[in-house]
Amino acid sequence: MNNQNLDLKSAWITIKEAFPILESPSKIPDNDFDSAPFEAISIIKRLNLTQQIQDLVIIKIEERLRKEIVPDFWSHFKKTENEAAVFHEFYSVVKFLFHNYVQLDLIINKLILLREASNFTKPVYNQTCLHEALKLIVRAVLLSQLPIDHEWMIVNFYETALKMQDPEEENSTSGECVVCMQEEFSCSCREMFEETNKKLGKMTLLEPLVGQALTDLIYSYIQTHIQKICKDNFDNSHIESLEKWLQTVVISWLKKIYFHNSAVKAMDEFDKKLINYLYNTYTKIRIDQLFNIIIEYPDSLPALDDLRLCLPKTDLKPHLTRSLQKAIETRLLHPGVSTFDVLTAYVATIRSLRILDPCGLLLETITQPVHQYLRSREDTIRCVVGSLTEEGPNDLAEELVRGEAVQVDENISVDEGVEDWETWTPDPVDVVPSKSSGLPRTSDIISMLVNVYGSKELFVNEYRTLLADRLLSQYSCDTEKEIRYLELLKLRFGDSQLHFCEVMLKDIADSKRINQHIQQDLSYSDDDIPMSAMILSAQFWPAFKDEKLELHEKLVKQMESYTGAFETLKGSRTLCWKNHLGIVDLEIELADRTLNLSVSPVHATILMHFQDQNTWSLEALSKVMHVPSTILRRKLSFWQSHGIITEPEPDVFYLQEEQENNENNIQDDIVVEDFESESAMASAQDQREEELQTFWSYILGMLMNLDTLPLERIHQMLKMFAFQGPTIECNLQELKVFLDRKVREHQLIYSNGLYRLPK
Amino acid sequence: MKLTIKNWTGVATWRWVANDDNCGICRMPFDGCCPDCKLPGDDCPLVWGQCSHCFHMHCIVKWLQSQPVNQQCPMCRQPWKFNNK
Repeated sequence: MNNQNLDLKSAWITIKEAFPILESPSKIPDNDFDSAPFEAISIIKRLNLTQQIQDLVIIKIEERLRKEIVPDFWSHFKKTENEAAVFHEFYSVVKFLFHNYVQLDLIINKLILLREASNFTKPVYNQTCLHEALKLIVRAVLLSQLPIDHEWMIVNFYETALKMQDPEEENSTSGECVVCMQEEFSCSCREMFEETNKKLGKMTLLEPLVGQALTDLIYSYIQTHIQKICKDNFDNSHIESLEKWLQTVVISWLKKIYFHNSAVKAMDEFDKKLINYLYNTYTKIRIDQLFNIIIEYPDSLPALDDLRLCLPKTDLKPHLTRSLQKAIETRLLHPGVSTFDVLTAYVATIRSLRILDPCGLLLETITQPVHQYLRSREDTIRCVVGSLTEEGPNDLAEELVRGEAVQVDENISVDEGVEDWETWTPDPVDVVPSKSSGLPRTSDIISMLVNVYGSKELFVNEYRTLLADRLLSQYSCDTEKEIRYLELLKLRFGDSQLHFCEVMLKDIADSKRINQHIQQDLSYSDDDIPMSAMILSAQFWPAFKDEKLELHEKLVKQMESYTGAFETLKGSRTLCWKNHLGIVDLEIELADRTLNLSVSPVHATILMHFQDQNTWSLEALSKVMHVPSTILRRKLSFWQSHGIITEPEPDVFYLQEEQENNENNIQDDIVVEDFESESAMASAQDQREEELQTFWSYILGMLMNLDTLPLERIHQMLKMFAFQGPTIECNLQELKVFLDRKVREHQLIYSNGLYRLPK
Repeated sequence: MKLTIKNWTGVATWRWVANDDNCGICRMPFDGCCPDCKLPGDDCPLVWGQCSHCFHMHCIVKWLQSQPVNQQCPMCRQPWKFNNK
């Protein structure tokens, strides 16, 4: 017994010699691998203590890790300012860890020998290989004591390394290493970096310790890089270069890091993740810039193409819709933007979205609010028509030249092009079913603009008014150009709609011819006042503004003789002069100067009266000219501003021959009326009221016969009897407004939802 | 002050000198044109009958062609004769 006891004691000593860690966890033999502990192994085997000894050794290893190595390791993870120091710190701390790990691994080697000798195969921590078990233990202990801000150092370390690698940031001119500021050839930072990765890889600590930090770092690195590249720069395509950059810079760097890691497969997956992240980030940035991209169309075409390629790869379409809608709402659809700019942006939007999404669905959703907004602006049609016919490079005019018949939604046939069924693509899944009603979505810009209002007539009417204005205000109108535009518009809107405009242009051309004829007429002479006329077909022109004006008698005579000449030229026809319209070229010789001016007939008539008589009171002049004194005063101010007429006493005007030297005399504060800006045409609203007025007799007749009628019934009956002309139509709302006005004017009585005539 | 009018461009509308505003056949204004025409004035003239009624020329010609037997004025049923005044 005693002998055995002694035997045990000496056996324990032998075992302790083989595994010094059993004595004290910090006791580590320097390097005693050569002295294989065969004696101890045989003792253990004899005593059948393999498992106990192995467990004991592992417990001691764990204890050493937990109490000494790991706390020591983590204690270095403190925040410091010096980046270079961090780099080296991390390097040395990993080196320290690895050193300890190697030592522990030596013990593990002995344990393995022991296991082999005693044929012991029971796994430790589910690992049959004890090396793996050691790695597992190291990992577990490390992570169990993870300090809160450990990532900071790791991120810093890799960030520095990334800088070293980045071809753009490398200080190639000075040839200095970004970390240690030493000459590049003498710097060992790259080696240190590789060594660190290698050691971490060997301990399989790369992924658990560094992985997350590294991923974050790479993501933010990609993000900054893309942001740098995409900043306000839409005229280059970046996808290819970005992908190449990802492969050559980021992924190759990562591969270098993970080179010592066995998990190559994981790396492949990481690759895919990175590419996806790249696309996502790029798309997001472009989507945020989309409004600017659209505004800069067509210079931003490359960016749009990129976006088009990226969208199917990412899941960001809803995001795009939302963000663009928001951008449009905040940047475009507010009162601070002029209608013309809204239209320009709108056209650019249509064109850009056509590229992004050929099926037009996106376009429909995005432009819906713009439509609504445009409808609420009064000058939209005028703006559209104006820019349609404007000279010079202009988006809408270009569109017009492309020439396609305008499709108004309500009457397009449903048969989609059967010929190109092979290219048909289904609507994207996110379509609201009600919207995909089988109607071919048009992306023709002019059609879309017309559809804002739902009818061509409004556009055609507006065009007519604008054309009339132009023809009457310029008098030397370039009819050829107008005819060209008219032909282009006809392609869009159809012949019948623009027939009136055609007649208008013909009137102008005819007038020129008639003028020539009349000049050659021997019985007609206009030596006194050279006269020409624009002879219009009243039925085809928009209604003229009605202003009363009695011309000077000299002119009246002249006009009469002109009319006479016309009557002889065209049998059975006569002329009705619009006295207030026209233009007069004047030469005014004053005592000290001569003025050459083109003015309106009213202004000319005023001067003609002043030629006869130097002084006029406002009242007298108003009576002679049949112009209300308020308007006359406004017209007089035009001459006052030229210093020809003065008003020394209230309401009495004098002709002033000589301009007084004193310049101050010219009253600066007199509002000079720019007569050319005034439209000769009645405003659309006046016109509309006039049109509705034509129904009044029908309505009177109805109410006389049927006594009382509700609004709907009146509308129905009007539809049946009165709405037969092609241009006159009136919806229920308008009719109601009209009838309500009549009620206010006491021409109708409204009670219980019924209209009737007052008794 | 000496005022010289170098040129006076006036604006006028033309109209037919007729005793009615609308054509009795097509009910369109005389100053417009008959339903078959596009351009008013010279291209769609008026004609007067001896009964003093007047129509778009195209309208009355069409009417007369559709009345092979008694060619009458559609307004007053008198025999239609062109008044070449």
